[in-house]
Amino acid sequence: MPMIKTENLSKSFGALDVLKNCNLSVEQGEVVVIIGPSGAGKSTFLRSLNHLETINHGKIWVEGKLLDDRVNSVNQVKLSHEESTAILLEMGMVFQRFNLFPHKTVLENVMLAPIHVRKYPADKAETIAKALIQKVGLSDKVDEYPSRLSGGQQQRVAIARALAMQPKIMLFDEPTSALDPELVGEVLNVMKELAAEGMTMVCVTHEMGFAKEVADRVIFMYNGEILEDATPAEIFTAPKHEKTQTFLKSILNA
Amino acid sequence: MDLIKEMISWLPSLMRGARITISLTLVSVAAGIILGLFLALGKISKNRVLNKICSGYIFFFRGTPLLMQLYFIYYSLPQINPALTINNRFMAAFIAFTLNSGAYSAEIIRSAIQSIDKGQREAAKALGMSYSQTMRLVIIPQSFRRLIPPLGNEYIMVLKDVSLVSIIALTDITKVTKSLSSTTASPWPYVPAMIIYLIITAVFQYVFNKLENKFSVYD
Repeated sequence: MPMIKTENLSKSFGALDVLKNCNLSVEQGEVVVIIGPSGAGKSTFLRSLNHLETINHGKIWVEGKLLDDRVNSVNQVKLSHEESTAILLEMGMVFQRFNLFPHKTVLENVMLAPIHVRKYPADKAETIAKALIQKVGLSDKVDEYPSRLSGGQQQRVAIARALAMQPKIMLFDEPTSALDPELVGEVLNVMKELAAEGMTMVCVTHEMGFAKEVADRVIFMYNGEILEDATPAEIFTAPKHEKTQTFLKSILNA
Repeated sequence: MDLIKEMISWLPSLMRGARITISLTLVSVAAGIILGLFLALGKISKNRVLNKICSGYIFFFRGTPLLMQLYFIYYSLPQINPALTINNRFMAAFIAFTLNSGAYSAEIIRSAIQSIDKGQREAAKALGMSYSQTMRLVIIPQSFRRLIPPLGNEYIMVLKDVSLVSIIALTDITKVTKSLSSTTASPWPYVPAMIIYLIITAVFQYVFNKLENKFSVYD
C-alpha cells in the first residue's frame, strides 16, 4: 500500500493550469525528489498533498485512506474535521522560509503543536521535543528565539518541529533554497539522516547532489505535468524527455 | 506670584476633573480594545453575515461624529424608549466612548493581524492547528507588538476626545477649566489644565514605550 497516492490531480488559477493530471505513488520508506524549472508546479503539487492548496480535480490517498476526491473543487469524500486532520497529521511539512514562530523559543516552537493538537502532557511533549532538538544538533539553543539563529539552524528547528508531531511522511518544500550556500549542508545532512532511518519523504529541491545520493526516485515536472518518473541513475544519465535534458543541462552547467 | 498662587488654588478642582478624564479614557479604550478584537476577528472571518455586521458597525462608528453618538446615547435613546435611559453620566460616556473606540481599535487589530506573514498560518495549519488555535497561539500574540504603537495613539486621541463629555455635564478637566475661567473671569485656568493633559499624555507614552520594548524581546 502506497503511503501517498495521487490520481489525476489538477489545479488551475483562473485560466492558468498549474497542475495537469498529476499521478504519483510513494511507497513507505521511499525518498522521492521532485525537480523541474520554477513555475513547473512542484511546490503547488506538494502543498496540495497537505491541503495548503486546494485542488480542483483528482484524488489523494494517504496510507490507503482516501482524503480527497474532488470534482470542480468540491470534495466528494465527506470527512469530519477530526478525520481529515488525523490524516493530514501523517504528513509533516518543512517550508522554504522555515516559518518558525518568532515569538516562541526553539523548545516552545517544537512543543507547541504536540501539546495543543496531540494533547500531550507538557512533560511528555518536552521530552520528545528535547530529543528531536538534540537529533538536529541544537541542544545548546533550546531557549533561544528563532531570530538569534542562522537560517540553517532555523531550518533544522523547523524539521524538529515537524517531526515532533510524529508524522509518517515528511514533505520538504525547497528546504535549502533560502539558505546561504555554506548552510545548505547542515540541513541536507539532517534530511539524509532521516532518509537513512526509513522516513518516507517527498522533497522539492534544486539540490541535484542530494537527489543523486539520497533519492529512490526522481520526478521531473514541467508546466504542471509530471513528465518523468525514474531512478536518479536513469534521470541523470539518460533522461528520456527532451525537456528533462534541457533542464538538467541548464542546472548542471550553472 | 499671585497668579502662581491662584493656579495652585485651582489644582484641587482640576485634579477632580483629571480623575474623571483619566478613568473614562482608561476604561473606555480598554473595553474598546476587547470589543475591537471581536470586531476584527469578525471582519476577517469567512462567515459572510458576521463579516457584514462587523464591517457595518465599524463603518457606522467611524463615519459619524463622536459628539453626535454621545448626544444620541445620552439624550435621544431615552426619548425613543424610556427603558434606554442612562442616568449615570459617566456610564453613558463610557458606553459611547467604548462603542466608538472599539471601531477604531478593530481596524488597528485587523491590520496588525493581517500583517502577520502568511507562512505563519501555513505552518500552524501544517501542524494540525485549528483556526482558533492558530489565532490564539500564533497570530494574535505576534500582532501585539505591532498593535502597541497605534493603540498608544488611540489612548492619546481618546484622552482628548473625552473633553466632549462636558456636553452631558460630566465634569472632566475641560469642563472644570471652563467653569473656573468663567467664575474667575480669568484666562489662566487653561494653562495648568493643558499642563495636566501633557503630563497624562507623557505617562501614556512612557507606558506604551515600555510595553513595546517588552514585546520586542524576540526580535
